[in-house]
Amino acid sequence: MYKFPKKKMLGQDAIPTTSLADMMFLLLIFFIMTTTLSRVTGIVSDMPSGTKAEQAQSEKTPMISLHDNKITVNDQEMSREGMERYLRGLNLAQRSGNAKVVILATEGDVNYQDYYQTMAFIQTCGGIVAIESEEGGPTK
Amino acid sequence: MNRLPKHELPIIPTANLVDIAILLIIFYMACSNFVSQQNAALNLPKAAGLEQLSEPLVLVTIDSQDTISLQGRTVAGAAEVESSVTELLKDKTTDEMRHVMFRCDAAVKRTVFEPVLNAIVQGGGIVVAVGDKTADAQ
Repeated sequence: MYKFPKKKMLGQDAIPTTSLADMMFLLLIFFIMTTTLSRVTGIVSDMPSGTKAEQAQSEKTPMISLHDNKITVNDQEMSREGMERYLRGLNLAQRSGNAKVVILATEGDVNYQDYYQTMAFIQTCGGIVAIESEEGGPTK
Repeated sequence: MNRLPKHELPIIPTANLVDIAILLIIFYMACSNFVSQQNAALNLPKAAGLEQLSEPLVLVTIDSQDTISLQGRTVAGAAEVESSVTELLKDKTTDEMRHVMFRCDAAVKRTVFEPVLNAIVQGGGIVVAVGDKTADAQ
């Protein structure tokens, strides 16, 4: 019996792409789930730090101290608005080097919100925040 | 006139769907930042005048329970933060590479967050303090 030669089907050698769509959608779902398009907001602070003794030597450096419910600027009690006026008046952005440094100290039960707000304001004014540590240690 | 036979639904062309999906994948791959932060719910502090930042590689978190964690792993205290940050940043030369993201709950007291901030600084890091931007510009 004569057998007809099998006809080569069109596209038989081609790579099967029928499942490509499924794979693409799986990848798409993965990226949609793991992507965070929004960027974080905050402040970059290259903080110098030192001990109280060292900072006492630099008398001209402004010192803001946050207490439980009050703010003192160079040992003078002020409201938050008063402190902000004082910082604006210092023209920290115009200064250079160590003259930009503002020491930020805390006492009592100060929470991070108050600390952060003050730190952000000093940065906005063009200043550099220095942390005060009560005990001695390696100083930058 | 060419009409569809009765009772036969029109076929939606789906041949281009793969191309669209590929384009979307490329878009997401280009814009992705993989979630590196802990899933702990943090009430971040709010302040005006914050800038948009890129995410640093080192992440220190303090949650509302005063739990300190570094790179998602809970650490004992500020001393461990300092040694770990020193280790992580030992080969980093540029300022950008020394950035350490600091995420802290707004209600955390200074006895908890201040030693950690100090530890980051002593470990050679530049603090990137994360907060929520308030609408009012001061």
